[in-house]
Amino acid sequence: MTEFTPKLVCFSCKFGWGYLNTNGYKNQLKNLIPVTCSGTVDTTHIIGAFKEGADGVLILGCPDSECHFQTGNYQARKKIMLLRKVLKEFGIDSGRLKIALSIDPEGAQIPVVIDAMKKEIKNLGPLRLAV
Amino acid sequence: MAEKPKVAIYWLTACGGCDEAIVDLNEVILLVADAIDIVLWPVAMDFKYESIRKMKNGDIALAILHGAVRNSEQEEMAKLLREKSQLVLAFGACACFGGTAGMANFRSKEDIFDWVYRDAPTVVNPNNNRPQTVFSVNGNNLTLPEFYDRVYSLREIIDVDYYLPGCPPPPDLIANAVFAVLEGKLPPRGATLAPSKPLCDACSRNQTKPQKIEISEFKRIHEVEAKDDLCFLAQGIICLGPAIRSGCGETCLRTNVPCRGCFGPVDGVDDAGAKFISGLASLIGAENEEDAQKTIDGIDDLAGYCYRFSLPSASLKHKNKEK
Repeated sequence: MTEFTPKLVCFSCKFGWGYLNTNGYKNQLKNLIPVTCSGTVDTTHIIGAFKEGADGVLILGCPDSECHFQTGNYQARKKIMLLRKVLKEFGIDSGRLKIALSIDPEGAQIPVVIDAMKKEIKNLGPLRLAV
Repeated sequence: MAEKPKVAIYWLTACGGCDEAIVDLNEVILLVADAIDIVLWPVAMDFKYESIRKMKNGDIALAILHGAVRNSEQEEMAKLLREKSQLVLAFGACACFGGTAGMANFRSKEDIFDWVYRDAPTVVNPNNNRPQTVFSVNGNNLTLPEFYDRVYSLREIIDVDYYLPGCPPPPDLIANAVFAVLEGKLPPRGATLAPSKPLCDACSRNQTKPQKIEISEFKRIHEVEAKDDLCFLAQGIICLGPAIRSGCGETCLRTNVPCRGCFGPVDGVDDAGAKFISGLASLIGAENEEDAQKTIDGIDDLAGYCYRFSLPSASLKHKNKEK
């Protein structure tokens, strides 16, 4: 049996986590979606990612009180908290949706946080949504 | 005299409220009855399915179908009426989005059967009998429709030409829809025969909505005495108005009950529940993680609020089985 490699979709705020066009991470990482602000990530984008086969979704936003657009990171965090509650009712483990608010202008930590979440998702197994 | 257009009215997984809404057209129904020839309406008149089967394809001008699809008989009837009808109107929230019955998709078929035939306190079923599609008695086969794994909205089963949402649809929109068909003044196929703006746009409480809403504690409508002139969300009461289509006549709001979402998403949105979550997040006042989590933990059955009428037509249509 082939080993399960989790498919992770990561929405990453360009302001907090780097533009990723100079250091080559964008080419190394599949399904990495730079966004203008974590607050722009809509619940329909996240649900869409799960429907398209993602085993997990990670959102990277700016740290507390450092959002370029005032409160986009807080809005994203509340959105994720609400959505995790709803996804649970759909039988989707809340560990499959995470948000990290921090700063890393070079984006050097992105592969690290993605790998860490992938390890956790590996324990949950593939999502296998039947929709 | 030219033959009157034939109309079929049929219920699938439905409560009968949509039929009642048609009757509630009052004197308008007399005009409608004069203009059309009703060929099927199980709740009100006696017709035989066989006479529908004998019709030519397209013989029926309009089939008004209400209710969701949960079993094989309903699927068969929906497909038969689609075949025989020029136009199919999904009538009411259940046909349009799956409706209240669609909330059963948060449970598996097995869970539902276990409760209904074994675990509910009023059940006495020592042999653990369950419904079978075929059961033999004295050499005769008795049959029942197959209960499907989940509830389907009508458009998942057949092509639907028009949608008229609501639980039930209000009389003015019903009359408009019927006369639009009779007069051939219909919008493009696939349209919803209701306004396209969200309910907040039609809500009188919109005028009194504060500049900024910051909910720190959610309350359910039966737990408080809600003010009847203030935005429900400003009172910490979940109201789906921002994400739901207007046109219902605001009956709930006028009786001091928040919107539950029976008119479904506005144009261009498929999943009103998911959109509502995005909007609701911005109304939660807490900005530190702990307070926000506490506020959100205090919401009872958020998924039920978001998908009370629309689960089968949402992006995630039913509960997933995590291993």
